[in-house]
Amino acid sequence: MALRVMVVDDALFMRNMLKDIFVHAGFEVVAEADNGEVALGLYQETRPDLVTMDIVMPKKSGIEALQEIMASDPDACVVMVSALGQDSLVLEAVEAGAKDFIVKPFKQGNVLEIVRRITG
Amino acid sequence: MDMSQYRGLFLSETREHINNLNQLVVTLEQKPGNRETIDALFREAHSIKGMAATMGFDRTAQLSHHLEDLLDGFRDSGEVPSSTVDYLLAGIDLLDGLLDDLQSNQSERSIDVFLAETPHGKPIQVAETPKDNQGECSLAAAIEQEPEASTVVVEANVFQVLVDLAEDTPASAARGILILRELEKSGVLMSSKPDLSTLRSGAPCQQIHAWLRTSLNRMLIEEALLRISGVVKVRFIDDRRIQEGGDRDEGTHTIRVRTDLLDQFVNLSGELITNRYLLNTATAGRDWNQLTQTLSQTSRLIDDLYHHVLQARLMPLENITGRLPRIVRDLSRKTGKKVTLHLTGGEVGIDRAILEEVTAPLVHLVRNAVDHGIEKEGIVAVSALREKDLVLIEVADNGKGMDPEPLRQKAVDRGLLTSPQATALSDRDALMLVCQPGFSTAEEITEISGRGVGMDVVKAAVSKLGGTLEILSSPGQGSRFQMRLPLSIAIIKILLVNCAGQPLAMPISRVQRTLDLPTSEIRNSGQKRVFRLGEEVVNLYSLAEALGLPEVAAGETTWVVLIEIQGRRVGLQVDRFLGQREAFVKSLGFPLNLLTGLSGATVEGDGQVVFIIDPQSLIEDGQLFTNDCPGEFDALS
Repeated sequence: MALRVMVVDDALFMRNMLKDIFVHAGFEVVAEADNGEVALGLYQETRPDLVTMDIVMPKKSGIEALQEIMASDPDACVVMVSALGQDSLVLEAVEAGAKDFIVKPFKQGNVLEIVRRITG
Repeated sequence: MDMSQYRGLFLSETREHINNLNQLVVTLEQKPGNRETIDALFREAHSIKGMAATMGFDRTAQLSHHLEDLLDGFRDSGEVPSSTVDYLLAGIDLLDGLLDDLQSNQSERSIDVFLAETPHGKPIQVAETPKDNQGECSLAAAIEQEPEASTVVVEANVFQVLVDLAEDTPASAARGILILRELEKSGVLMSSKPDLSTLRSGAPCQQIHAWLRTSLNRMLIEEALLRISGVVKVRFIDDRRIQEGGDRDEGTHTIRVRTDLLDQFVNLSGELITNRYLLNTATAGRDWNQLTQTLSQTSRLIDDLYHHVLQARLMPLENITGRLPRIVRDLSRKTGKKVTLHLTGGEVGIDRAILEEVTAPLVHLVRNAVDHGIEKEGIVAVSALREKDLVLIEVADNGKGMDPEPLRQKAVDRGLLTSPQATALSDRDALMLVCQPGFSTAEEITEISGRGVGMDVVKAAVSKLGGTLEILSSPGQGSRFQMRLPLSIAIIKILLVNCAGQPLAMPISRVQRTLDLPTSEIRNSGQKRVFRLGEEVVNLYSLAEALGLPEVAAGETTWVVLIEIQGRRVGLQVDRFLGQREAFVKSLGFPLNLLTGLSGATVEGDGQVVFIIDPQSLIEDGQLFTNDCPGEFDALS
């Protein structure tokens, strides 16, 4: 069965780019959200195998969303997407249970490498 | 009664029984109704139970008792249902795990989940097992490890692991935490530099230096670490310091010696004592004839004694080949291929220390043969035979074989060789390209090389033992991987050289040849010095520089030791060659053992200590080595 992915990012550009990468790799993108709050609701609804989570977003940040997802599902597989220079936020996310992180700008190959590693 | 004195024997004997159990179950799977096999299985489980109970290892006793009961039931019915085979194997793996715990002085892991399952896989009741101790391992986990992990378990060891991150790794502290998490999955992470709290504070990190206690194979750990984004290099160092200081039990091993061999020792010792008196008398009487004669006798006796001591250390290879049928069975299942394993030469003896180190490479070659050699159906033959002072271990398959041409092309694509260099490479050398680190990756393996993951590690392990690896293959003709290993590692042939006024030694096995070059033939190419060897342009390094010793300017002749690093020939400049001889290698104690590039020491006839260097790691770790092409000689000014 194809890997089910949720893409969370406030920028449509980033969402589309990630979606393209995942669809091209044969994954199924089951949900997308442009802020942490929407992401939480969709997570409970769709229970994806993997979430890519932007860090800086309106309403609810990626880290807050991550913390709430981890609290409700300790096995959740969340990969943070950060920009260069957000080291302390990335650190916070990893400590909160993010399985890995992708730093923008990224290449298709890097994203898939990271995803394949943590989803086995 | 103090039972601890029997612990070593218990551990080694139980391992043998587990080995037998594995083989018997695989046999049974082929002939389910074979009464003799069922009886033999029962007896093996029964023996373990008795020993474990005597030693007071309750869980091991309880589990073997459980297996014994199960097998007893099959003795009555006369048949083992095929659905039970996996359950039996999982039970044997769990026994193996319990033994690992005992060996590393940990409390035995929980067996409750396994006992609660029926042979058909469905739990009788939902077992809420308390997470009581850290060694806990559920049946699910035991099965999950199959076949990759549990089949290559050697024994719990402490390694130092060095993980290098790329220089520009973003959020390196967070990356470091992910690396520590990965290491924790592989075993017990004893400590690390930087440690978790330092990383949490956000301190940037370029390298993680971790102390890991694990029974997993290094290659698996390395593979997992290299998959982490940003990780560029993984190295392992045996942590002798912790093993020796922490737990003496881990350092001592048991070996069974035939009594006739022991009698020989007694005889030889007796003759040596007699000779001592003869020497005393001859010296007192200043009888030079008698002295010379007795000395030559003594020397013969010492040779004889050494030979016999080596004999005592030899263990039959079947100690490790015994686990191969199980591994091949599991792999066949996983890959859906029909693979027959032929084993010959299990009785060939090899030094215990070498046997332990060669286990992982052998298993790796067998896995490779099944995975990449055999296409749908075929034979993997593992054989061993004694060739003078060497043991030849061969893993052969009758699969699709390897084509040297695509390998040459790939080496050029990767910038490892120039086009003319690749063309000049013999087929045999081209096949050896798969042993270059990172030459093949998992994705490409099936299309191009057909081989390669971890072959660099296999080659490194074999050369570390002073052995050689050779690949014989051609398309459609199958492949043969031959490891030639010394019988013993205590005495090796060394090349003695002089470097900055000091004698130094290097194992002959590490040296390709020696050269005395006219100094005028050495050219400068950028920062590097190079010379021509036939068609090849070879980089030249200074041993003195690598060791941080003052350099002595070469005269008209430059003395060069030719070695191979990562598949490339490299010259090492020394001041003079002093000769070759056999040397008894003494391993270095703490803290000298932490120095890279030194593999031991030996004592000269005049009492001087001579360090034995490992030229490859000295040059690699000194970061003098760059794996780029020296380029065309003609283009150099």
